[in-house]
Amino acid sequence: MDLLDLIDAVQSVADGVLFGATYALLGIGFTLIFGVMHKLNLSYAAASIGAAYASLLILAGIEAPAIFVFLMAAVAGGVIGGLVYLIAFKFIPLANPLATLMSTVGLLLLIDEIIVHSTAGVPLNYPALFSDVIIPMGPFNLRGDLIFVFALGCVCMVVLLLLLYRTKLGLATRAVSQQPIASELCGISITHVNVLTFVLTGVVGGIAGAMTGAAIGMLSPLLSLPLTVKGLIVTVIGGLGSIPGAIIAGLVVGGLENFFQFFRGVSERDLYIMLLLFAFLIFRPGGIFPTTAGRD
Amino acid sequence: MLDVSDLVTAYGKIEALKGVSLHVESEKITCLLGPNGAGKTTLMMTIAGILQPRRGSIRLGGTELVGLSPARIVARGVALVPENRLVFPQMSVLENLLAGAYQRSDKAEINVDVERMYTRFPHLRERHQQLAGTLSGGEQQMLAVARALMSRPRVLLMDEPSLGLAPLVVAEIFSIISELNRDGTTIFLVEQNAHMALQVAHQFFLMEQGRITFKGTPGQLAEDEVIQRAYLGTRRTAG
Ligand SMILES: Nc1ncnc2c1ncn2[C@@H]1O[C@H](COP(=O)(O)OP(=O)(O)O)[C@@H](O)[C@H]1O
Ligand SMILES: [Mg+2]
Repeated sequence: MDLLDLIDAVQSVADGVLFGATYALLGIGFTLIFGVMHKLNLSYAAASIGAAYASLLILAGIEAPAIFVFLMAAVAGGVIGGLVYLIAFKFIPLANPLATLMSTVGLLLLIDEIIVHSTAGVPLNYPALFSDVIIPMGPFNLRGDLIFVFALGCVCMVVLLLLLYRTKLGLATRAVSQQPIASELCGISITHVNVLTFVLTGVVGGIAGAMTGAAIGMLSPLLSLPLTVKGLIVTVIGGLGSIPGAIIAGLVVGGLENFFQFFRGVSERDLYIMLLLFAFLIFRPGGIFPTTAGRD
Repeated sequence: MLDVSDLVTAYGKIEALKGVSLHVESEKITCLLGPNGAGKTTLMMTIAGILQPRRGSIRLGGTELVGLSPARIVARGVALVPENRLVFPQMSVLENLLAGAYQRSDKAEINVDVERMYTRFPHLRERHQQLAGTLSGGEQQMLAVARALMSRPRVLLMDEPSLGLAPLVVAEIFSIISELNRDGTTIFLVEQNAHMALQVAHQFFLMEQGRITFKGTPGQLAEDEVIQRAYLGTRRTAG
């Protein structure tokens, strides 16, 4: 391998790490919902893409600046998050572990269908910010749009962590995820925390959806399944329930994805990510940061 | 203060409480004794609103608590120190205390109360930054009591606070219980340790298989032959 190849490889991995911020946000969403409800919300990534679509539909015909489209995606994400709770969790018997798995898979398919029907399955262009900016760094070029996506992801994570660790509602959320009965005894309403978590993770998902659209340059209904799988992989590798784990795993998976794509091609790349998942499941099933806190 | 009457709570078809009536007197320590599986925890959880009764009523100074959410019940002035303490393991001692004050919004007063808890439980002050899950059993019990007190309850319910603790720690817990009571807190205590309970409580109830089968003062309890044998482990030489 000559030097130019190496530079290309590093460039590709760096782009992947930047895009990995999207995976990190999705992983955080899965992890937070799992934290408070001890349930997987399989419709999460589809809802996130749905929110990005919604931002385009809401602003159809209006020459809105890209940042406004992003904002709309966040709002739509929050609304969809609340709806997901209402449809797939509120009236479903939570004691049955399969019930919400089924209801959220159903919702995933439903959201996909809605997207396909309302767009005739044709991919839509998604606006990006700073796509004309290229920052040269030695032999490498940093893409402005990817840097923006990455920065936005970081801001999102910081805000989320501040909410969780510096506010009363964050305290309630952590309390419910650690010890639901004691939370109720303290006067915390589990239902309120659940709704709040769905809306909040919905907002994060909407932003992740918009980031995906901006980084790829378009939205397609074909995005939701791979993003669901990536989000789940990131959650498992990071350690179910661990936010720092989801962040690190998201960036690592993003980087490795491009690494394998560069050396083995796009058709093989997901194979290696799956192998990584299996390696974790076998050798470190708790993920990077296993959550040790037992809940009884 | 707290009046429970004809309370029935069931898990599915099995009634764990089969019509329980009892009275917790204001500013006294009332103790509920009973073997494992008698329904003591079920009673506590029902009073706190975690479990819904089939029928019966729970009144706190005249207001009905049945049907209220746990949050409302805490706001009305009932706090439960649950069996097995149930502290928030991944939160600091201070955060556990603040969670206990979740219903309150008087920030300055909450800080005063945190300070008060640190004075009453000096161990908690030393470890206020530490994660609750890393505390010893005794310290976790102190934290669970302090957390419940943070809601400024009119009645403090305690479900087997001595469970699994070393004798010295148990003695400490009981001295705290009578201290709290001397300061005016009404206490409803579930215990299996009848010897310790006899030293602090003013009124006793015995629960067996979901029913109250004895009610009396410490004197009457110590006199009762059945209780002597079952709970105090001393056989009176029949005279
Ligand atoms: N979650 C539950 N589901 C079904 N039965 C239960 C449950 N919790 C307790 N029980 C039953 O209810 C009865 C009373 O239990 P409990 O209130 O825990 O008793 P105690 O606290 O006096 O030991 C027991 O027979 C127990 O098996
Ligand atoms: Mg019990």
